[in-house]
Amino acid sequence: MRSRRVNAVLVLVVVTLLTASAASVDAMMSWSRGPQHQRERTIWDSVYSAEQAERGDSAYKQLCARCHMENLAGSDEAVELTGSAFVGSWSGQSLADLHDRIRTSMPTDTPGVYGRQQIVDVMAYMLRYNGFPAGAAPLTHESDVLREIRFLARRP
Amino acid sequence: MTFASVSLVPCRRRVLSHSSVAFALGALSLGALSLASVGVAQPAPGPFTTAGGEWPSHTGDTRGTRYSPLDQISAANFGSLEVAWRFKTDQLGPRPEYKLEGTPLVVGGVLYTTAGTRRAVVALDAATGEMLWMHSENEGARGAASPRPLSGRGLAYWSDGKSARILYVTPGYRLIALDAKTGARIPSFGVNGEVDLKKEVDDPILPDLETGEIGYQGAPTVARDVVIIGAAFREGGAPKSYRNNRGDIRGFDVRTGKRLWTFHTIPRKGEFGYDTWLNGSAESAGNTGVWTQITADEELGLVYLPVESPTGDYYGGHRPGNNLFGESLVCIDLRTGKRKWHYQIVRHPIWDFDLAAAPILADITVDGALIKSVALPTKQGILYMFDRVTGKPVWPMEEREVEKGEVPGEWYAPTQPIPVKPLAYARNGVTLDDLIDFTPALKEAGIAAASKFKLGPIYTPPVLSQAEGPLATFTNGPTNGGSNWPGGSYDPETHIIYLSATNASPSALGLVTPAKGASDMDYVRGFAPGAGRAGFTVQGLPLLKPPYGTISAINLDNGEIVWQTPHGETPDAVRNHEALKGLAIARTGQAGSVGTLVTKTLVIAGDPEVTTVAPRPRGAVLRAYDKMSGKEVGGVPLPAPQSGSPMTYAVNGRQYLVVAVSGGPYSGEYIAFRLPAPSTR
Repeated sequence: MRSRRVNAVLVLVVVTLLTASAASVDAMMSWSRGPQHQRERTIWDSVYSAEQAERGDSAYKQLCARCHMENLAGSDEAVELTGSAFVGSWSGQSLADLHDRIRTSMPTDTPGVYGRQQIVDVMAYMLRYNGFPAGAAPLTHESDVLREIRFLARRP
Repeated sequence: MTFASVSLVPCRRRVLSHSSVAFALGALSLGALSLASVGVAQPAPGPFTTAGGEWPSHTGDTRGTRYSPLDQISAANFGSLEVAWRFKTDQLGPRPEYKLEGTPLVVGGVLYTTAGTRRAVVALDAATGEMLWMHSENEGARGAASPRPLSGRGLAYWSDGKSARILYVTPGYRLIALDAKTGARIPSFGVNGEVDLKKEVDDPILPDLETGEIGYQGAPTVARDVVIIGAAFREGGAPKSYRNNRGDIRGFDVRTGKRLWTFHTIPRKGEFGYDTWLNGSAESAGNTGVWTQITADEELGLVYLPVESPTGDYYGGHRPGNNLFGESLVCIDLRTGKRKWHYQIVRHPIWDFDLAAAPILADITVDGALIKSVALPTKQGILYMFDRVTGKPVWPMEEREVEKGEVPGEWYAPTQPIPVKPLAYARNGVTLDDLIDFTPALKEAGIAAASKFKLGPIYTPPVLSQAEGPLATFTNGPTNGGSNWPGGSYDPETHIIYLSATNASPSALGLVTPAKGASDMDYVRGFAPGAGRAGFTVQGLPLLKPPYGTISAINLDNGEIVWQTPHGETPDAVRNHEALKGLAIARTGQAGSVGTLVTKTLVIAGDPEVTTVAPRPRGAVLRAYDKMSGKEVGGVPLPAPQSGSPMTYAVNGRQYLVVAVSGGPYSGEYIAFRLPAPSTR
């Protein structure tokens, strides 16, 4: 009885996830996109601090540069983290998406070992490297906050 | 280690019988089209060919062509393609993958491919995408330590007409043979269906089987009854040691898994080429594998190996001499593995010009003479062509004097060979003329940014990095320029080759002394401390000028470029840039490794970057070009960049295109397109 209920819940969760993923895919494949929120925060709003980017610089050199290169240009096996391909592929996404992507897939041999703060510091460095402005306050690693900051290639 | 095969055979039977009905209907309504009818019984009698609507080998055939004569999808209808099915790969491993680079195979109405972070093998109903079986190996620490992890680029199919096998290499470097019907291991192959590629070697893989650095993410090449396996390592810009495991290439019996031969890409003492490693450095040097696809001529019984760099991508002071067979095209005998001929493309490699693309076999006519040729696309954007029987260059080679560098301990080759034809199809060296010049102000800013670097033509050597400059030699090619692993496509009817190329993949060839304890190399890739930002962008714009990426068509009978067109939408970062407002910027194309497919009438390739251009959604585009003129004739949206090479097949009388997409926030997915059913058009 109990296991049947668990199964039912699992099925519900799986169905919900599948539906959600199918819906988002459909949205991407359709030819229109809804209007964006007018006053949302973006990476143009000085969302990290210079000091944090410095910390991120050190962490990047230690953890990331071996494959992504010191100048973020990437290599045969690792994508670039600067330039139009990088900015284009993240434009329109939230910083929570970027944080999740790094957290769940990097480094490729032992994903999940980097701390949330470490990742957000590296993100600050990546933003600085790509020319997005620094501000007074550091970027927090709280998902709810990161979700409200949009990565945008073009200044809104 | 554990493994699992999930077979859904009862379900498959149901699907197949359903498909048979669809086949009958499709055959009736599409009767006028010249598509080959493809049955779904499996295994079907061979030989399988793209002409028969199959895609039986990674590049369509073992010749590297990525060509199919199917013609149902054409310029007239490409824009009306619709999604037939999608296969998301997230659950084929403990986490999603964002780097799906596979090209599937299709034989007998079944699609086989690799996918997911554990490189699972799946068999799908080629008409619907429904999973028929899945095989996955959990290799634990050995898989995690792989220098070439993730889903890989594909697999191989073999059949003797009675039974059929799927062969692939795991991230942990084991060759697995599966029953194509069920996904179960073939017990009579190797040890219970597996050959441990770290054990079947002439020299032990160090330090141990679990962490010993060697792997392969390419698809095995099966030619006649021989499986040929390459070897790959970690990126070699800053290796831990100038000693490393060596990338021997091996042939195995496809029936038994027995090792038939081993070709030493670094000659052993007494073997030809040993003396091209001065001071006995052949004893210590490693790498020099083949990490890309291997090509075979089944009729001639010859195999073509595109060999990578020896240890130390940018510093060769520990291996003085020309270093055969580093960065050489080597032709060996399929049965014995013995060398027939070789040509070293780069002597004493110090630029990371790994031979990255599969050689392409092309039977051409030059000045009235038939030549069985092999054409080699390269990172240099130069197409090297040889008579594939004799190794003689098709077009004369010029010995070009190249600059001698000043890195202490380095050994420099005084000249490098460059063919007089065809002309380079991509940028290789970088001079001031190659820099951004949209406006005078941007040109000035570009020159200022480039002033930190040493510029020069192809084969300008790496420099010791200095904070006050030069930080590095700035060039295009070594990282991802020219042609890389997706290679090219070749049309055997018209003798035209199609090559995608990147003109804007800047590389910084700077050397530094390694950090204490990090390496026993004298120098490794890096920037001098205190150098500041050493980027290749100017206000977010690429430092190199467009076109950033192109597709070129080259007539191999005369070596002339027939057409060349930018490939890919102008990136958002360029199209929307404030400094470019009011300027008419021609389409720039995009930088990125792009696989192409050539069919009866079209060249097909997807964008390697995401853009947002109304009215289509944010994403990429799968584009079709008229193969004779290069004119773009249609496109369909992709939700993410093309990350594997497109392929095509026919089933139930309908032609399909399948392409892998992934990148950035979008995890790996195969998408199949076909035309709407006739009744719904």
